[in-house]
Amino acid sequence: MNTIPDEAKLALWLDDELEGDDLATFEAWVSSQPQHLVAREEVRQWRALMASAVPASEEPPYPDFFNSRIAQAIREPAPKIPAAAVRRPFWKTLLMPVTACAGMVLAFWVGAKSQKATPEYIVEGAPRAIPVEPLVYTPENGVEAEWFSSDVSSMVIVLNGVRAIPDAMDFSASTYVPNEREFDSTAENRSTSPANLNP
Amino acid sequence: MNKPSGEPSKTVQGPVGSFASDAFTDDPDEDFRLVALAQKGDLTAYDALVTRHRGRIFAMIRNMIHQEAEAWDLSQEVFIKAWHALPKFEAKARFSTWLYRITHNAVYDWVRKRKIESVGELNDEIFERERIDSGSFTTPSGGESPDDLMANGELRVKIQVALNKLSPEHREVVLLKDVQGLSYKEIAEAMSSTLGTVMSRLFYARQKLQTLLKDEYHSR
Repeated sequence: MNTIPDEAKLALWLDDELEGDDLATFEAWVSSQPQHLVAREEVRQWRALMASAVPASEEPPYPDFFNSRIAQAIREPAPKIPAAAVRRPFWKTLLMPVTACAGMVLAFWVGAKSQKATPEYIVEGAPRAIPVEPLVYTPENGVEAEWFSSDVSSMVIVLNGVRAIPDAMDFSASTYVPNEREFDSTAENRSTSPANLNP
Repeated sequence: MNKPSGEPSKTVQGPVGSFASDAFTDDPDEDFRLVALAQKGDLTAYDALVTRHRGRIFAMIRNMIHQEAEAWDLSQEVFIKAWHALPKFEAKARFSTWLYRITHNAVYDWVRKRKIESVGELNDEIFERERIDSGSFTTPSGGESPDDLMANGELRVKIQVALNKLSPEHREVVLLKDVQGLSYKEIAEAMSSTLGTVMSRLFYARQKLQTLLKDEYHSR
């Protein structure tokens, strides 16, 4: 036999699991393959090593109590199967997704309706809000403000008559700059820093 | 684990109780006879089945999770689940293989629950790789001389440490094959996996273990 057997058969043979005709055929082939014979011997030694070092069976602590607890658990009535787990009829299984879809459509419809007409809650005795046009404050005389609102969420204010800012205007003169003492107190103190202590 | 109070923890190897735990474990015919009785509701027969298999199931779980108390509880859970699933057991596989499958599911469910419970906690000891149970054995069973016992005890600790460095899937496949002695087909059934996957996992798991135990392995 010159053909190389498949790896599954090789694995089975290495672990002494090959039987019958397969084993005979394999043995005939492997007799001319010393490396596989060595490999099988190594697997056998490995299994012997593991079996000698790790016991396959260990009695659990308190074995009689172990058994009695199992017996007690078995004698107790089995938990009732919840209603959801009970097998439902075929037509109910089909109806469920249809009902779910209808429910979703209804929920969307109700949601869309409720967004269009914002509900107004009337509380007895409470003052009612009266819609008024906003008043836009302009600090300079001669400046007029116009506001446009297409809906509740967006508003545009246009200021007419605002003078152009001259290029020569010095903004620093009108900007507050903190003095040295008002800097962040957690910043490094220059007077005591090592760099300042050394001449 | 709710043990009776006032007694020190003791772990016994070998036959205990009314049935010799491992003496008849490898007799599938006796298993099938007891299973048939248990399927008719015979609790005594099921108790005998528990006694026959508890040692292997407990050892398997303990080697997987390295916590004696949890392994004790989980082993009981396996037998309780097996009792409830017993009407579905069709004797196509050995009873022990079927039990290993329930064990596999129970261990992985336990790990999943522990992972969910330990989210955000620092103490995540699930499948912790360097952890060895303080009560773990250092002396394997058998009629060895004291020197052999000591050498094997040390070797077991080294193997345990090396096993803990494997992934749970690799550890399980090594334990089922090289310690429990299951065939490839039985392991595939127990782990709900394919034969090819089992072969591949075992190959890589052994390779890694042999690398980790290089000195021990070559000195023998």
